[in-house]
Amino acid sequence: MVIHPVLLIAIPLLFAFLMPLLKRAKAVTIIILLFNTLLAILMFHNVYNNGPLYEIIAFSPPIGIYLYVDNIAALLAVMINLLAFINFLSVEKVEIKFAMLYLLAVASSTGIVITGDIFNMFVFFEIAAVSSYALVAWKRDKEALEGAIKYMVLGSIASVLMLVGIAFLYSEFRSLNIYDIMNRMDEGSVLILLSFAFLLTGIGVEAEIFPLNGWVPDAYQGAAGSIASLLSFGPSKAGIYAIARLLMIFSWQQSYDLALSVGIMTLLIGELAAFRQENVKRMLAYSSIGQMGLILISLSMLDSTDYAIIAFFFLLVSHAASKGALFLLSERKGFGSNASKYAGIVSVMSLIGMPPMAGFWGKWYIIMGAMQMEAWWIIAAIVFSSVVEAAYFARYLSTTMQEEEHASIIAAYPPAIMATLTLLLGILPFIYKIATIGGVING
Amino acid sequence: MVEMVFAVLIIAFIFTLFIKNNRVASIISLVVSLFPLAAFLDWGREFGINLISIGFENTMNINMAGITLHFSISPLAWFFGIMLFSLIPPILLYSYSFFSKNDGFYPFMILLMVSVMGILLSSDFLSFFLFWELMALGIFIMICRNGDRKAMVRYLSYSVLSGVLILAGIALLYHMNGTLLFAEIMLKADFETMVAITMLIIGFAIKAALMPLHTWVPPVYSTSDEPFVAFLSGGLSKIGYYGMLLLLFAMPGARVMEAYINSSIATYLLAIIGSLTAFFATFLAIFEDDLRKLLAYSSIAQLGYIAVGIGTGSSIAMAGALFQAFNHAFFKATLFLAAGSVAYRTGKWKISELGGVAYKMPLTFMAALFAIFALAAIPITSGFAAKWLLYEAAIERRYVFIAPIMLIAGVGAFLYSFRILYGVFLGENRYPDIKEAPKPMVAGMFLLVMPLIIFLIFPGYMLDMMDSFLSSAGLATISHSPYVIHTTLGNYNTIAVIVGMMFAMIPAFLIYVLRKQHLVDFEDNFIGGEIPSLYEHISMHAAHNFYKPLKDVVMPYLEGGATSIYSSLYKVVEKIADGARKIYDGVVQDYAIYVMLFLLIIAGWLLW
Amino acid sequence: MVTVVSGLINVLIIAIYATVAMMIGILFMGIGRKIVARVHNRVGPPIYQGFIDIAKLILKKTNITHGWIYDLALLFSITGIVLTILFLPIGGVKLLSTEGDAFLVLYLLAIPALGFALGAGASGNPNSAIGVMRALVMMLSYELPFVISMVALMIYYDTTSIAEIVASQYGKWAILIPPFAISAAVADMALQGMLMEAPFDIPIAPHEIASGPMAEFGGKHLGSLMIYKAGTIVAYTTLFVDLFLGGGVVMKGGIVADVVNFIVWFILIFLVFTLSLLINTSFPRFRIEQAFKFYWKYEAVLAIIALVWVYWMVIS
Repeated sequence: MVIHPVLLIAIPLLFAFLMPLLKRAKAVTIIILLFNTLLAILMFHNVYNNGPLYEIIAFSPPIGIYLYVDNIAALLAVMINLLAFINFLSVEKVEIKFAMLYLLAVASSTGIVITGDIFNMFVFFEIAAVSSYALVAWKRDKEALEGAIKYMVLGSIASVLMLVGIAFLYSEFRSLNIYDIMNRMDEGSVLILLSFAFLLTGIGVEAEIFPLNGWVPDAYQGAAGSIASLLSFGPSKAGIYAIARLLMIFSWQQSYDLALSVGIMTLLIGELAAFRQENVKRMLAYSSIGQMGLILISLSMLDSTDYAIIAFFFLLVSHAASKGALFLLSERKGFGSNASKYAGIVSVMSLIGMPPMAGFWGKWYIIMGAMQMEAWWIIAAIVFSSVVEAAYFARYLSTTMQEEEHASIIAAYPPAIMATLTLLLGILPFIYKIATIGGVING
Repeated sequence: MVEMVFAVLIIAFIFTLFIKNNRVASIISLVVSLFPLAAFLDWGREFGINLISIGFENTMNINMAGITLHFSISPLAWFFGIMLFSLIPPILLYSYSFFSKNDGFYPFMILLMVSVMGILLSSDFLSFFLFWELMALGIFIMICRNGDRKAMVRYLSYSVLSGVLILAGIALLYHMNGTLLFAEIMLKADFETMVAITMLIIGFAIKAALMPLHTWVPPVYSTSDEPFVAFLSGGLSKIGYYGMLLLLFAMPGARVMEAYINSSIATYLLAIIGSLTAFFATFLAIFEDDLRKLLAYSSIAQLGYIAVGIGTGSSIAMAGALFQAFNHAFFKATLFLAAGSVAYRTGKWKISELGGVAYKMPLTFMAALFAIFALAAIPITSGFAAKWLLYEAAIERRYVFIAPIMLIAGVGAFLYSFRILYGVFLGENRYPDIKEAPKPMVAGMFLLVMPLIIFLIFPGYMLDMMDSFLSSAGLATISHSPYVIHTTLGNYNTIAVIVGMMFAMIPAFLIYVLRKQHLVDFEDNFIGGEIPSLYEHISMHAAHNFYKPLKDVVMPYLEGGATSIYSSLYKVVEKIADGARKIYDGVVQDYAIYVMLFLLIIAGWLLW
Repeated sequence: MVTVVSGLINVLIIAIYATVAMMIGILFMGIGRKIVARVHNRVGPPIYQGFIDIAKLILKKTNITHGWIYDLALLFSITGIVLTILFLPIGGVKLLSTEGDAFLVLYLLAIPALGFALGAGASGNPNSAIGVMRALVMMLSYELPFVISMVALMIYYDTTSIAEIVASQYGKWAILIPPFAISAAVADMALQGMLMEAPFDIPIAPHEIASGPMAEFGGKHLGSLMIYKAGTIVAYTTLFVDLFLGGGVVMKGGIVADVVNFIVWFILIFLVFTLSLLINTSFPRFRIEQAFKFYWKYEAVLAIIALVWVYWMVIS
């Protein structure tokens, strides 16, 4: 059976623009997301059995759209679409514009993950960013607008920088194909070095790394729970995956060192900022920054240890699903129902790294990897940040567990389903095998 | 068959999650809790103790996609298993009446059983750590049920710290040995191994509540449900020591290690920390007014003795440590349950608000009294045998600092023991209308006292139980018969004491029966000529601020301890955290500048 | 058959020794009152006054009780103190002391105290509770210097058994070894607290708290407490003599030696007791915190000096 990865992007894009013509926005969106999820699962099945998948649209590279799907990319596509589907169930009143933007954001995030072309990546980043600005501002109150504007300002700067970086790269290699560039990459001229700096800065804004993440607390605080959740498992995860690819292209010791130091800084500053934060969404946003730092640290070890890729995978998935659930829960003051309590505890525990949740394996492999590298700084930073994280999450749970706020089924179950995902990933570590065997990021 | 025990426990866990009725859940979990106990009793035949014979197999490997979990039984694990799993059924029996509905206690008790069983049976570090963290999670959820912020924050922070340190230690050992199997890890006397062992021991010490890592204990013990605290204090706190023993005495190469350590101060340090823990925690317990906090500090102190034993490391010390662990499990569980019964009837926790409970709840009092005798190490209770072994070990090794400290902590135990006895159970009869605790609760407490009584008469049986561990750790076994323990320094003969006591009781008994006596009212008292009944607002119960004179002298030296150091550390972290938060000042221009600065810095760094 | 007979003889000897020891204790109470009276320039009661008091009390026809916990005081106090005496070598005769050691004795001494405290608590009199509190704090105070001294002895003789310590001191009493002279001085002050003589008679201070723990005791209960008191005099002085003065052993072997040793032991405990009484008569009462500071500051430092000295001697 032939799977066309492009459908993952094309169908939602198409329906996003057809949306004004359709009456039942919610039902249509749900069906599309479900379809996309199934498609992504099929694609993953295909990739897992038959190896990486290429697809060239319209023209031959480097001009046309070039898609490249390996194991991790396929899994991430599944994750993004699945979580987007679950997340969308929790939206109570769906307007047509909202559904459009939502589909655009999901499609573009998926696009970032499965594209094999750096300019396409830029385009998808743009779509993701623009739809995210609008979604953040969706509530139309002061906080939402403030967050959206900040996001927009930084996002615009980022896109300019990214474009400049791509231009430098193109002028050097006359190619936009990631794998083409990767194979021809050598020590690097000034232009290549500059292009790395520009691309890292540009993508870094989307991937929430320090100090490019000024928009994060405000945007997450302003956005509705389901939007914050979408941002945390959609564009930002796609962004960090793009950084992984970036590190694969510019695979020098220097860039890994850079990623390590930036990662440690992001981790510490994010967790410390969350430590004293009282506003739940803001706290979760800072915590996201910290987790992004941890993921970046795992990326910085890609070259030195085999554990890095597994740690990366588990951290990414655990963070996407758990933070998604927590942002959905943050709409209400307390957990109230048992389903919400379950979702809250499981998600927090996964982030902290307790078994049997997915986060446990992330913590296990990242420390195993750090110890293999004998990188004491990483260990010290992880120890410190874990304790800080535990302190503020315990505080968070102590307030939310007590509040008995009634939750409708629509609000209570989607987070519970997301939490179950992290739980399943932790209990069935077969994913471990999937992540290691065959195509890793570099294909 | 191991699979079966695990499967039964996990099914029961899921099943009890959905049962609302407390009694049904209690009975289910009580029945289920007998499975691991039966398994452990059965495995005794591996170590020459044939209690029952069902035929539980004791090895199992779970293989899932590149990850293999190895399970098998070791003599050390067997000892701890017997201890912990015989603790659980009485506690569950007690809970039958204690709770009114099942809101998560039973499923997570079962989860804790799963994790304890996993920890004890695991023979590689991955499964050990997996179940270790599962236990931490289970404890946290139990604490969550009551939702006290301080307890949750402190416990989770400490628990995560312990988890990460243990993980780092394991990772380092793995990095050096290339294996996670206990049987293949060789401890060597080099720097990296020392670092790994230090990290692991600190991690274990957090669970074992060694000072100065104990500050999570008082809030947790004083805010959670009593049946759980009984298991936490009695059972789970020992798991930390299980980890230490495993690391220091059950690994291949551990003997090499010990030869190396003996010349250094590493384990001596552990013994000193243990003795100081016993000492300071005893003082903190003496001045505590909240019954649960008093018992919490008392737990910390009693657990300190175990660390002394492990740190001393001779066979007498090891026997003392294990014996002390066993005793503590049962007497402290009994005391927590007794405290729970008292609160169940009176609703009060403060010692100064209680009083005279013994007259209406004699059975609870008797269980508590016996537990307190064991706690205070009154001869001939098994508590004395354990402490005696530890004292002998300290003298044998000429630990001139540790021995007096431990002895004084032992005397201090009398002080807080009396505080419990007088403040809660004796004195003014303030609760004339209460009833004895419900029968299942009383039965639970008396079941917990049973082992203490057995080892009271036959401390030798306890030594039999640990013989195979001692020999597997390469230590000499201690010469003993069922009721006599011989060491190089002295003997302890329980039969001599019991016979002597019977003999000595003859005159006392004669005097007692010689003349009749009649019961008088509580009010019939001499208070310097005052008639108490006329002044009803005057309390006849002198339990408030009981040890004030001592407190005035000692307290100034105890302030500035671990708690205040941590709070100042916490303030520093808070300041840094505020600083970190100020980076996000909300001004978008600043953020844009950050972006450009970042670009400049990395571009400059890359080009340079 | 032979073993049974010798066993019975042993039991008989132990019983005789214990009974005689208790009698000596009661006698000492009378002697003590006489000595104190003489120091105060009074005539004082006859030296057999202790027997009269105890007989009167335990034979009283009306007795009151505050419940079964209150009665524990009676049972525990006599049982505990007699049991303790059984585990102390008296004049070189080991009794049961080979079956236990110094730690056992130290903890056995807590049985009567705890029983007494239980009874006092059950009586419901606040004065009793305060008295017990003081007694326990005193216990905590004097035990520190005492156990440090004891540990020094144990390390020096490399045993914890009192019988062994006594045997090792044959010919050279511990007090003649310089560091143990300090230890003995320290232990003697601890003894003052153990016997609740001034300046450490804080727990039973009659003028402040109506005799403290025994405020509610009368009749046979009070009588049993007096027996306990008599027993403690013998037990503590014997412990001191056993630890520092060689248990009064001056001869070995045979009945004659036992008799001589017994006499020497009697003289020694009498001297120790008299010394304690003389201190008692010359000092007023400390407050409880003063007593605590005295033991934990000055006494403890002296004891530690002795301990370090001994440790140095053992090591080198």
